[in-house]
Amino acid sequence: MTLMTLSNNDYINSLVERWGSYSNSTNVAWLNQLRSEALHCVNKLRMPTTHMEAWRFTDLSSLAKLSFPEALLFPRDQLSELARFFLSESESEYRLVFIDGHYVAELSQIDSSEKIIQGNLSSLILSHNQIISSHLGKLAEFQDDLFTALNTAFIQDCACVILPRNVSIARPIHLLFISTQSETTSYPRCLVVAESGSHATIIEDYVATNENVYVTHSVAEFFLADSAKINHYRIQRDSNQAFHIANHVVSLSASSYYAGVNITFGAQISRFSQRIELGGEGAECSIEGFTLITGQQLADTHTFIDHMKPQGKSRQIHKCIADGSAHGVFNGAVMVRPHAQQTDSAQMSRSLLLTDKARIDAKPQLEIFADNVKCSHGATVGQLNKEEIFYLRSRGISESVARNLLTYAFGGEVIEHIAVPSLKAQLEETVLLRTQIA
Amino acid sequence: MSALLQNLVNQPYKHGFVTEIESDIAPKGLNEEIIRMISAKKNEPDWLLSFRLRAYEKWLSMTEPQWQNVKYPKIDFQDISYYSAPKPKKKLASMDEVDPELLRTFEKLGVPLHERAALAGVAVDVIFDSVSVATTFKEKLAEVGIIFCSISEAVQNYPELVQKYLGSVVPVGDNFYAALNSAVFTDGSFCYIPEGVKCPMDLSTYFRINTEGSGQFERTLIIAENGASVSYLEGCTAPRFDTNQLHAAVVELVALDNAEIKYSTVQNWYAGDEKGIGGIYNFVTKRGLAKGINSRISWTQVETGSAITWKYPSCILRGENSVGEFYSVAVTNNYQQADTGTKMIHIGKNTRSTIVSKGISAGHSNSSYRGLVRIAPTAENARNYSQCDSMLIGDQCGANTFPYIQVHNNTAVVEHEASTSKIGEDQLFYFAQRGIGAEEAVSMIINGFCKEVFQQLPMEFAVEATKLLSFKLEGSVG
Repeated sequence: MTLMTLSNNDYINSLVERWGSYSNSTNVAWLNQLRSEALHCVNKLRMPTTHMEAWRFTDLSSLAKLSFPEALLFPRDQLSELARFFLSESESEYRLVFIDGHYVAELSQIDSSEKIIQGNLSSLILSHNQIISSHLGKLAEFQDDLFTALNTAFIQDCACVILPRNVSIARPIHLLFISTQSETTSYPRCLVVAESGSHATIIEDYVATNENVYVTHSVAEFFLADSAKINHYRIQRDSNQAFHIANHVVSLSASSYYAGVNITFGAQISRFSQRIELGGEGAECSIEGFTLITGQQLADTHTFIDHMKPQGKSRQIHKCIADGSAHGVFNGAVMVRPHAQQTDSAQMSRSLLLTDKARIDAKPQLEIFADNVKCSHGATVGQLNKEEIFYLRSRGISESVARNLLTYAFGGEVIEHIAVPSLKAQLEETVLLRTQIA
Repeated sequence: MSALLQNLVNQPYKHGFVTEIESDIAPKGLNEEIIRMISAKKNEPDWLLSFRLRAYEKWLSMTEPQWQNVKYPKIDFQDISYYSAPKPKKKLASMDEVDPELLRTFEKLGVPLHERAALAGVAVDVIFDSVSVATTFKEKLAEVGIIFCSISEAVQNYPELVQKYLGSVVPVGDNFYAALNSAVFTDGSFCYIPEGVKCPMDLSTYFRINTEGSGQFERTLIIAENGASVSYLEGCTAPRFDTNQLHAAVVELVALDNAEIKYSTVQNWYAGDEKGIGGIYNFVTKRGLAKGINSRISWTQVETGSAITWKYPSCILRGENSVGEFYSVAVTNNYQQADTGTKMIHIGKNTRSTIVSKGISAGHSNSSYRGLVRIAPTAENARNYSQCDSMLIGDQCGANTFPYIQVHNNTAVVEHEASTSKIGEDQLFYFAQRGIGAEEAVSMIINGFCKEVFQQLPMEFAVEATKLLSFKLEGSVG
């Protein structure tokens, strides 16, 4: 125990040691203030252990040994190689590209003619100081969360998207985070402020150039004002050696709508924590998750849907396919606060175990403090349905093809809902490829 | 909507009387001396004393669990009297010699003791502040070889059985309260069903906490040998005091090959008054080990009382094809808190478990279902189905579900479903249309809601449970 605590603190300390070189790198007082407050918390907090309920199944002791420095700038002459990560609708997409956590203007595609405000933090912080300072770090609380505190302490580059009133953007906004260097730590950050009545599609995409070991501590904050509508596709396809620890917080005002799809393919240990606050009357969210893991991968999804005001509606489906010796963890909490009457919430978690080494820990959780509500949740864990396989076989399809087909269909349901054709095609291909083994 | 249901809920506690009986009470506090004293008073063999001391040592190294979803002021374990027994006057030869005051108490409780027991066909082992006062039907049961007596008697008469099984399902250091119980338990029931015997009648114990400021630490041990079966009923009440009383029991069930144990509880401890003052803290460890092949353990509970209920009757399904079942109704009102559920640990092949949990919250109360379904890597073709439904009455109460599902075998099928609902205006309107008043309507709706569980109860318990529920919720809808 003592040993563990020691090495845990070593991890934090060695990251913090590097903080000094960033402490004066901005000349914006509030940002410096925010970062040093976060650093203060980092110093107080400890690395989570499996003795903590929220981390019971996710053992970070292997991460604790890897306190990697931040990455160097990517060589500018090799940038063109990275264009392969752009979507094929690249002509029509807005794009902000970050390589190993650093913003790369050369690859980004910002159209300043339209009304949307987007860019890296450094380019917007002076022109939009008011709106950024009143949102950045306001949702992702870091007082008790080590990794959010770390990210906040290290904020340097940040993808900012501000949608003014009633602006509706048809072209997807692609926030692309590329990892290229081994043994580095990066702190990706996103801020989305959707003013009332605005509408956009945001793709938050984590990719890697090769099978490196690296650590990503990411934080994203989404603010949706009254009647705003955001479609959010979060794709985590990091290297299978990587560590990915992410925190995403969404705040919903009255009648706003958030539709999120979260796909997890990569990382040896990944943790995605999501908190959705339905803070206005009639707010609505729909979140879908799909995790496909194999080998020794561990993917942990923690979601918390907080119904704070009446007439909220939430829909959630989480699917997980665990192959090899993979370990899937799902913890989905739904809270209905007192007076959040007429809440309508439904949650479903379905997991598929493909081998006898794979393992699933699921914990759906309902906490209800209002009486006029409709809430349900369900969870299933199992293998492919024998009758379904038999049915396909009776149609002349071989057992292995039948299995592949059914496995693919299990995950395909979530991917179906991605409305960006090229992204959907890419993901379908990955799932197809991964489910064709054996 | 509320005036009527309010009255329903606010029905005064009917069992809140204190029996004036001289008790033999140990001084408050817990130390090795007290444990040695309890052991000496009960004339226990050395192995049991060392069992108690081992548990006490474990307990000292443990801290009170904090994870449960209940709030209460810290318990001062040195402010509790760990032994309270009615003063023995003389050896009792027949039921007629039992203190008439005591018998009157049970009459008030409606316990079918004495002649009434014969009519009801129930053998009752009465536990009154930790010491078993009288055991009925013992002889009749003895004819078929069934041992049904208090655990202190069993320690004296069947030490090898007790030694073999005591602590085999719930080890002394299992958890904080189980360790405490193992150290200081004063009495409880012991039941042994020999090979191939089907118990001819339902066995029953009645627990009652009488002395203010005393904890009740009873210990129940039930063993069903190969091919045996038994249905066991437990009922609980306590008088009304302003102070909180601690009840930390341990129940162990062992089912061998093809054996079947059905354990039913109706718990109606004093729940505190409408402001949440007083009431029992019910921190209980109940666990059944389905050890043999084709064995079956079934828990049915109706939880209406206690200021705080905190218990998880569990099944360890070790034998192949063994079956675990859990049926529960938990009703909370006023400031009651309940954190209850079950654990189904699948170890053997083809093991099956069913969980049906119904929670009803009213007033300012808070009820949580917390359950664990674990499929071990060895549990080929294990199957679990869980369903937990909650009903909320009023907007000041809360209902939570915390199901843990851990699957380590891909041939397992695990399903969990939960829903929350309320008694709707339109439902009441529908009843009114048919000429049925609100109170009766609520009672019918609730009975319908709990039907799946009540069906599992033995007849007389089902009747009691239904009545209890309507008392409990009287006036909380209107």
